[in-house]
Amino acid sequence: MTAYLIRRVLQSILVVFISAIATYVLLSFAPGGPMAGLRQITQSGRFQITEEDIARIRASFELDLNLSIRFSRWLIGMPRGPVVIAGNEYFADVAVGCRKPIEAEVLNSRGEYEIKIVGCKETVYLKDLVGRRTSNGILRGDFGLSWRILRDRPVSDLIESRLAKTLQLIGLEVMLSLLIGIPLGIYSAVRQYSKFDYIFTTLAFMGSAMPSFFFGLLLILTFSIIPKGAGLPYIPAGLSESVRDYTIPMIGDVVAGSAKDRILHLILPVTVLTLINVAGWSRFIRASMLDVLRQDYVRTARAKGLREITVIMKHALRNALIPFVTIVVFTIPALFSGAIITESIFAWPGMGRLYILALGDYDYPVAMAIFFILAVLTVFATLLRDILYTIVDPRIRLN
Amino acid sequence: MTVSAQLDKLDAESVSIEERSPFQIVFRRFVRHRLAMISMAVMLAIFIITILAPYITSFEVDELDVNKYFVPFGTVDEATGRIHYLGTDNIGRDYFSRLIYAGRISLTVALLSVFISETIGILVGSISGFYGSWVDAILMRFVEFMLTIPTLPLLLIISSMLLRNQELIPIPESVLTFVGKIMLLGPRDARNAVLIVIVLAGFGWLSSAQLMRGTVLSLREQTFVEASRSLGASNIWIIRKHMIPNAMAPIIVDASLGLAGYVVAEAALAFLGFGIQDPVPTWGNMLSATQTYMFDKPWLPLLPGIPIFVCSLAFNYIGDGLRDALDPRLKL
Repeated sequence: MTAYLIRRVLQSILVVFISAIATYVLLSFAPGGPMAGLRQITQSGRFQITEEDIARIRASFELDLNLSIRFSRWLIGMPRGPVVIAGNEYFADVAVGCRKPIEAEVLNSRGEYEIKIVGCKETVYLKDLVGRRTSNGILRGDFGLSWRILRDRPVSDLIESRLAKTLQLIGLEVMLSLLIGIPLGIYSAVRQYSKFDYIFTTLAFMGSAMPSFFFGLLLILTFSIIPKGAGLPYIPAGLSESVRDYTIPMIGDVVAGSAKDRILHLILPVTVLTLINVAGWSRFIRASMLDVLRQDYVRTARAKGLREITVIMKHALRNALIPFVTIVVFTIPALFSGAIITESIFAWPGMGRLYILALGDYDYPVAMAIFFILAVLTVFATLLRDILYTIVDPRIRLN
Repeated sequence: MTVSAQLDKLDAESVSIEERSPFQIVFRRFVRHRLAMISMAVMLAIFIITILAPYITSFEVDELDVNKYFVPFGTVDEATGRIHYLGTDNIGRDYFSRLIYAGRISLTVALLSVFISETIGILVGSISGFYGSWVDAILMRFVEFMLTIPTLPLLLIISSMLLRNQELIPIPESVLTFVGKIMLLGPRDARNAVLIVIVLAGFGWLSSAQLMRGTVLSLREQTFVEASRSLGASNIWIIRKHMIPNAMAPIIVDASLGLAGYVVAEAALAFLGFGIQDPVPTWGNMLSATQTYMFDKPWLPLLPGIPIFVCSLAFNYIGDGLRDALDPRLKL
């Protein structure tokens, strides 16, 4: 077991590391970024921007460093200058980037001209990195500075406030899904082939097939737009709290930003997330209960005269929950991904929406930070699931 | 009448059950799944409508009608006498025509993605399961590695990168014209669709490969494989003639469920702004583009949403029916 655990943890760390490299490289090759607008401004000739200005701006975004050096500074906050051992500086003259690249129009293989970097006027050496502003590296919890969304503010500030909003949604979603999904699944399994079971399975099937963005729009229409237009009580949709005070018929005045306002805004997004989740989870509980109810030990429990409720809750449910626990653990990171879509529908200021904004707005430090958090979550949920498997079901062999 | 008299009347013909081929058995079981049959009929209708798109619609996909934004259902275009059955969208394009062309594009994207991902999945899965040892270890570790990365965030990063660097990705001209012909698009717009197919199929094959590997692992130990080998069959022959045909049942079910997944995934990418981009219509980007008019013209986002849901549900039911028909033991 210990050997297995150690191997799995090492594997997980490797996965996180490789996916971090892959996405960093991917985003580094993307056009745009903070320099794209600058090039246009320079070409339009409206502002006087000297070569020195551009070099300085490039340096402030670390774009003057080589990809590997930039990555290492992003990941662990190193190197910050020459290696100092016993008072002596080493590798001070190693080139790590280029401060002023020479650009030229080059004819490419398809016969088109494109701007390419052909040389370097001023090289950056390792000793130049001393005293530069740098993050401590994401591994130490420092995600660097935002490029565009909140320019020059730490990414962690942005994420912290958004993360709370997303956790609010997901926490409620998981709680409600368990509270609704488990009883539904049990009841449907115990009354297999009943009218209830038939309706339940049909609805659950439709729920699993329902795209969340469409479901969200339907809810907004039926519970927000139509009743509001008809002067009936409605549920506010969009954002996590209102900007202005408003009045809902029969419910009364709602002060913007009050607890009542926030709860009202939570209803629709949580409903979308919960119903789709309940559809999947309760179907799983039903299947797993049906499987257990056929087992010999359930028949034994009934034969010795236990009450039906005891048989179901104590003998059947406990065993049916074993595979379910692992399913729940594994869905949790997927919930963050699911929240990306739901947050976009309801303009919910959470992490998922921030991610979409960051990708669309070329704010790569923010996008990278969120992706990294999600990757870590997913990888460790997978690890936790595999460990739970072996704990709850000792029949599974490790190899 | 005595029992013996009854027995006398019976002959072998009336007692024995009619002989059926495996295909007939599966077909009969599938036909009995009512919802799957309804779904088949619905999908068939949608496919026929989208294939006949140029003959059904009277407007071009990107035909703009200036000054005719948001016209109501059934408005007649005075100059040409054509009818805007579902009105026009925010920039005066005929909504009905766009919906039908969008179906053609969305369904083609889903079909191509399924075809590519199942093909890769079958190849990788059968090689991995059949040869075992280090081949299996390398391939499956890779698949597991890819599956531990959160899919949607990665899909979003990759498609946003690909869409911004469209011209840099080499795609053979013949592929673009082929896809363009199916979707009735120019090669430039087809490139966008092909990229989305690559992104979707690039992740979709992972689970198919795992499924195929599992099936091959159990098939490999069967006696008919041993028999084939003792007759001198090569590995390639065994994979081609025994493994792949016998593993088809779960793969077909997987493909059908996959179609549902890809229709929704394409729409979700487009909804978030990282899918096929605007002048080319897809159900997803039509929904996303008209979302802001939700308050006074709710039919604009709802109309493209309905076919997405219908296709997703229908493909799920078909998959369910196929699973019941092909392998009753798999039923939950």
